[in-house]
Amino acid sequence: MIAPATDVLAPLPVAVPLLVGTLLLLVGKVLPGRLPDALAILAALAVVTIDARLAAHTTGGPLVYWMGHWQPRGEVTLGIGLVINEAEAILAAFMALLFAATFIFAWGYFEDIRALFHVLMLIFLAAMQGFCLTHDLFNLFVWFEVMSVTAFALTAYRLEADPLEGALNFTVTNTIGSFLILGGIALAYSLAGLLDFGALARSLAQHADDPVAVGAFCMIAAGLLIKGAAIPFHFWLADAHAVAPSPVSVIFSGAMVPLALFGLGKIYWDVFETVPPVQLLMRTLVLGLGVTTAIVGGVACLRQRHLKRLLAFSTISHGGILLIGLALPGPVSLAGVLAYFIGHGLVKGALFMVAGVLLATAGGIDELWLRGRGRPVWPAGVAMAVAGSLLGGAPLGLMDSGSRLIGAAAGARGEDWILIAVVLGTACTGGAVLRGAGRIFLGLGEIAGEEARGPSEDESEKPARPLWLMMLPVIVLLIIAIGAGLPHADETMLGAAARFLAWDRIASIGPIGPATAAAVPAPSHPFVPWLTLGLAILIAAHELGHAWLPRSWSRTSRRVLSGPVFTAIDRAHDGVVGDYVVWILIGLALFSVSSAAALHAG
Amino acid sequence: MRGRGAVSFVPWATVAWLFAVGIYGVITSRHYVHLIGCLTVIQSATYIALLSVGYRFGSVAPIFYTRPPSTPAVDPVLQALVLTDIVVGATVTALLLALTLQVHKKRGTVNPERLRPMRQ
Repeated sequence: MIAPATDVLAPLPVAVPLLVGTLLLLVGKVLPGRLPDALAILAALAVVTIDARLAAHTTGGPLVYWMGHWQPRGEVTLGIGLVINEAEAILAAFMALLFAATFIFAWGYFEDIRALFHVLMLIFLAAMQGFCLTHDLFNLFVWFEVMSVTAFALTAYRLEADPLEGALNFTVTNTIGSFLILGGIALAYSLAGLLDFGALARSLAQHADDPVAVGAFCMIAAGLLIKGAAIPFHFWLADAHAVAPSPVSVIFSGAMVPLALFGLGKIYWDVFETVPPVQLLMRTLVLGLGVTTAIVGGVACLRQRHLKRLLAFSTISHGGILLIGLALPGPVSLAGVLAYFIGHGLVKGALFMVAGVLLATAGGIDELWLRGRGRPVWPAGVAMAVAGSLLGGAPLGLMDSGSRLIGAAAGARGEDWILIAVVLGTACTGGAVLRGAGRIFLGLGEIAGEEARGPSEDESEKPARPLWLMMLPVIVLLIIAIGAGLPHADETMLGAAARFLAWDRIASIGPIGPATAAAVPAPSHPFVPWLTLGLAILIAAHELGHAWLPRSWSRTSRRVLSGPVFTAIDRAHDGVVGDYVVWILIGLALFSVSSAAALHAG
Repeated sequence: MRGRGAVSFVPWATVAWLFAVGIYGVITSRHYVHLIGCLTVIQSATYIALLSVGYRFGSVAPIFYTRPPSTPAVDPVLQALVLTDIVVGATVTALLLALTLQVHKKRGTVNPERLRPMRQ
């Protein structure tokens, strides 16, 4: 059983950053020098420690904590609960770690506004912890909103034209998403009259064929997919991530977007799993969206020359792979999602930091303009190459564990074709990053003529920071991503996933019997990681080596790349918010048609 | 099962209508302040959805100061949710208006068609 001492810890991951953030808001102006930076780092590290302790104490079953001891009495659940499973605690610890690394990276970055950046970031952290650990539908919405509003403000921090426009697109689309979630909550409440996940699950188990339950799921899922940037809800992401300050982009790509996708999994397993049409929707529509997102995101990623926009599309593609993992049933796939979440967050965080290093030292972010200008900061180039290989499927570390487990889960269901999407997305994004590393740090891939001028305005970030200080968090993140931080990652994730799924949501009181973790599956296609990495390197080499290729080949490939399919992808990302909202409506229509079909099939 | 009789059709139709016109406004808007107004219209749809779920005919407001606690009342939980919703909406609207003001200073226009990040 859980010791009473641990019980006290449950609300602290939310409370600590909120309190420190409020404190900094009050006294930040009078604190000397870099004290706010130090306090923010300490707060994030404290959250890491608390989450790690919670993870260690929940291996026997989830920790259930009722705020203010408002425990359910009989059928009446009035209180708001936190339920902390090992899987959620591990993800929460990882997100806090990413915040700590970001605070170190941003040391002195935001000197002009003093502690306000740290205040926003700490509230952002508290919201993510709350979103990850909560067990109440409306509480989930509140944390989602707090997360959104801090994210909107952080995007527009520079108060220049591009960041402001990116933030406006981000705000409008995501606000529509939160209205959808709220509508879904209203529908769910109309069925159950309660908001606690356990009570909702109990009630929905009795309304298994009710279209209102399916409608509630669709609206909540669509809202979460807007934040999780699944196609066709993804358009805001490339605009916002590209223009936000790079420390903020680290958190957006590494934690916020994957967390929204995990949130979809959370409400599915915690609330809607007993509704058969919803199960069908997860297996078909969500899987299909994941496959499409992985491929289209990867292709769009290759076509970018703005480095942060390139990384943003890579996040979209990898979000698609996470979505595939969430849509596949069973603990092996969930374990893959957990490993992939953390591995991708570490690698993508390191990459956005490298982009920040380039902005600070070379004073630009356009890949073609930067050609060869990265040589003075060559350690960043090494980091970018390592991160690009990990992103491109190198059989090493947490990302590889994740894609291997997701692949094994797909193979076990006889759906090996899913691997094509995973391989394509991984190879395209890895290839794009490796191409960038080769061009910026080795000076390869010269392109003559008018293309050498970038379309974006001049950008640079505050340069007065030593290189070693910016590289330190990059190196730490990459070392953990390669696997030095988590021995037996596969076994840990499989155990956490098995316990997460074995917990009886309907009874909502504790685990039912011991959950046995699945054995680490033998790789069904051991050559796939090598094939993916090879493909990524081939793509990068092809893009960089136009000068050495036969002219006819070069011309053909250029003609294919300016063909209708690719230009259509470019043209869809036109930056007009009204068009983005039309795409959201198309996504909602997809959900409606699919749920009508699912209800009919049931 | 609350709010699912024949009479409750009217609030849900209102919800659908407000959502539809709000979205239409957001898509076709040529001015960001107008667009923010349309977002508020969409949000009104969520207020009505929440309130209609909690409404019960022939019952009173959930204030029991002068009444016995057993008096039938509308669901107070949903009224609390609407209050939170209003707070959230006010925050987002204020932030959006501030962003619009700043973008007008930088670009000299608040037409969403002309504000395309990194495509100038």
